[in-house]
Amino acid sequence: MQWSFPMIVIVVVLGLLGIGFYGLLIVRNLIKVVVALQVLAKGAMLALVLAGELAGQIYIGDSMAITLIVADTIVAVIGLALAVQVRRHIGSLDIGHLSKLRR
Amino acid sequence: MIETLILLTIALPWLGALVVWRVGDDRPTVQNAVAVGFALASGVAALGMLPLAKPGTALSFAVGGAFGDFTFVADGLGVFLAVVATVVGSLAVIFSVDYMRGEAQLGRYYALVLFFIGAMAGLVLSSNLLLVFVFWEITALCSYALISFNNDDPKAVAGGIKALIMTQLGGIGLLAGALLVYAHTGSYDINVFMQQAHTLPAALLTVMAFGFLIAAAAKSAQFPFQTWLPDAMEAPTPISALIHAATMVNAGVYLLARFYPAFEAVPGWRTAVVVVGLLSAFLSAIMALVATDLKRVLAYSTVSQLGYMVYAIGAGGVFASQFHLLSHSVFKALLFLGAGAVIHAAGTRDMRQMGALGKHMPFVRNVFIIGALALAGIPILNGFWSKELVLEAGLAHGPLWAYLVMLIGAGLTACYTLRCVWMVFFGAPATHHHVHDAGKAMRIALAPLAFGVLTTWLLAGAFGHLLAETLPFHEMEAETTLSVIEEVVTAPATLVALAVVGLGLLAWWQRGVLKGLLYALRAVARLAEDSFGFEAVNRGVVRWTQSVAEALRPTQTGILSWNVLGILAALIVVALILVLGA
Repeated sequence: MQWSFPMIVIVVVLGLLGIGFYGLLIVRNLIKVVVALQVLAKGAMLALVLAGELAGQIYIGDSMAITLIVADTIVAVIGLALAVQVRRHIGSLDIGHLSKLRR
Repeated sequence: MIETLILLTIALPWLGALVVWRVGDDRPTVQNAVAVGFALASGVAALGMLPLAKPGTALSFAVGGAFGDFTFVADGLGVFLAVVATVVGSLAVIFSVDYMRGEAQLGRYYALVLFFIGAMAGLVLSSNLLLVFVFWEITALCSYALISFNNDDPKAVAGGIKALIMTQLGGIGLLAGALLVYAHTGSYDINVFMQQAHTLPAALLTVMAFGFLIAAAAKSAQFPFQTWLPDAMEAPTPISALIHAATMVNAGVYLLARFYPAFEAVPGWRTAVVVVGLLSAFLSAIMALVATDLKRVLAYSTVSQLGYMVYAIGAGGVFASQFHLLSHSVFKALLFLGAGAVIHAAGTRDMRQMGALGKHMPFVRNVFIIGALALAGIPILNGFWSKELVLEAGLAHGPLWAYLVMLIGAGLTACYTLRCVWMVFFGAPATHHHVHDAGKAMRIALAPLAFGVLTTWLLAGAFGHLLAETLPFHEMEAETTLSVIEEVVTAPATLVALAVVGLGLLAWWQRGVLKGLLYALRAVARLAEDSFGFEAVNRGVVRWTQSVAEALRPTQTGILSWNVLGILAALIVVALILVLGA
C-alpha cells in the first residue's frame, strides 16, 4: 500500500488528537491537563494546515494556524498560572480536589 | 461615510459600556458623564445616517464559511429604527442621571443600558439573518438583566426570567426561519432572500412566515405572549421606557415590516397578523382599564398600541405602522419617563395612593398630559395622525369587523388614558408624602420628548419619502406631509374615530352614570385583571421550562473527564453524520 503525504499527515493528526483526548480523559494533574490540551491543539493546527493545502488555500490554513498558536499560548499561560494558584490554595494539583471547593 | 456611521452607531454604545464599567462605582459623576456622552454620540451618528440612507448592502465583512458575509444595510427602515433606539435611548440615559442617583452598582446599570442600545441598533442595521438573530438574543439577554436589576427582589428576578423565557420562544422561530433561508438560498442575506422569495416553495414560505410571526409576537409582547411585558415593570422606570419605547418591543414590529413583501402572498398570513394585532390591542386596552398600578397601565397601553402597528402591517399599511411606531416611541417614552418622575416623587406605583399630584409637580403634569393626549389620539398631536393612518389602512385593505374592533379599542384607549391622568394628577389627594417636581436631568430628558410629541407628525412626508426611496421590495408611495394631512382631515373615517375617542372620554366623565353597566360587566373586569387566563398559560410555560432545566442539572457535573467525553462523543456523532451523509 502506497502512503501519500496527506494520509501520513492525517494519521499524525489523529494520533495527536488521540493522545490529547486520552490525556484529558485520564490525567488528574492540572499541569498534565494543560500539556494534553496543548497536544490536542497541535493536532487541530496540523489539520487546519492540511485542509488549507488540500483546498488550495494554504494562506487561510496558515493564518488560522497562526491564530491558533496565539490563542493556544494564552490558554497555556493562563492554565499554568491557575495551576500555581491552585497549588498555593489547596496544596495539591489534583483536579479531583478542585470540585470540593464547591462547598 | 455611511459605513463609518453604521459602525459608530453600534460600537459607540458598546465602547461606552466597557468604559463606564471600568470607571468604577465610586465615581458616579464620571459614570453619568461617560454614559450620557457615549449614548448621545451614538444618537448623533444615527441621525447622521438619515440623509445618507440608501437601499442594498452598505457594509460587508467577509467571514467566510457557514456564516456567510456579515452584511449591514442603511435603508430607511433600519436607519429610522436605529435613530429611535439611540435618540430615545439617550434621553432615557439622561433621565437616569436623576432617577438612579444614589443607587449602588451604577456601573452595571449603565453598561447594560448602553449594551442594550447598541444591540438594538445592530439588530435593525444588519441584513445577515444569523447576525440579526445574534443581536436579537443580546437584546433579550440585556432586557432580562435590566428587568432583574434589583436582583434582591424576587418579583424583579421572576419578571426578568419570564421575559427571557417568553422571548426565547420567539428566538426559536427566528432561528428556524434563518436556517431555512440558508438551506434554500445558500445565503443568510435578507436582500437575497427577498429577491428570491417568490421562487421558493410555498410550504417553506408558509413555515417561515408563521415562524417569524411567532418571533415577532413574543418579542413585541403580542397575543398570546403579552403577559411578560407588564411583569417587566419591576425594572427601574428608565428601563421600562427603554424597553417600551426605544428598543426591544419595536424589534418584533420591525421584523414583520421588513419581511412583509416576502410573506404578504402566503395564504392566511395577513389575516393571522391582523388577528394577533387586534386581540392584543383590544384585550390589553380592557386590562389597562382595570389596572391600578401606574406602570402596568402604561405597559398594557404599549401592548395595545403595538397591536395597532401589527394590525396595520397585516392590513398592508407598512408606512402607517412604522409612522405609528415613531409616534408611539416618542409619546410612550414621555409617558414612562413622566411616570418615573411621579413614582420617584410619590414613592409608590399604586394610582389609588396618588391623586392631586398635579399641584405639586406642574411640569411633569403638563408634559404627561401632552403624552397622554397623544396616546388617546387627540388632534393635532402625533398619536392622532399616525393612529388615523393605521385605522384608514385597516379600513381600506383589511376586514371590516377588524376595523370596528380597533375603533372600539381607540375609544377604550381614550377612556383608560383619561382615567390614568385623573387618578394621578387630579381627583382627591390621597396619603401625601413630601412630593417634589422633576429634577434638572429629568426635565432635560422630558422637554425634547414633549416637543417631539407636538411636532413629529410634521415629518410624515419626509419619513414616507425615506421609506419609499430606500426599500426596493416594499411598494410604497411617497406622499408629502400636506397630502397626508389632507388625506386624514378629509376622510370621513377620521370623524368616526374622533367620535369614538370622544365617547371614550365621555364614558370616564360619566362613570357615575355608567356604574350599573360596569357592575354588569364585573365578571369581564375580573377576567381582565387576570389577563383573561393567558397569565396562567404563560406562567405554565415558564414553570415547565424551569423544571426541565432543573431536571437537566445533574448533567453538569463539573468533572473534566465527563465533559471531555461528551465533546468526544459529539465529535464522533458529527463525523459519522458527515461520512454517512456524503
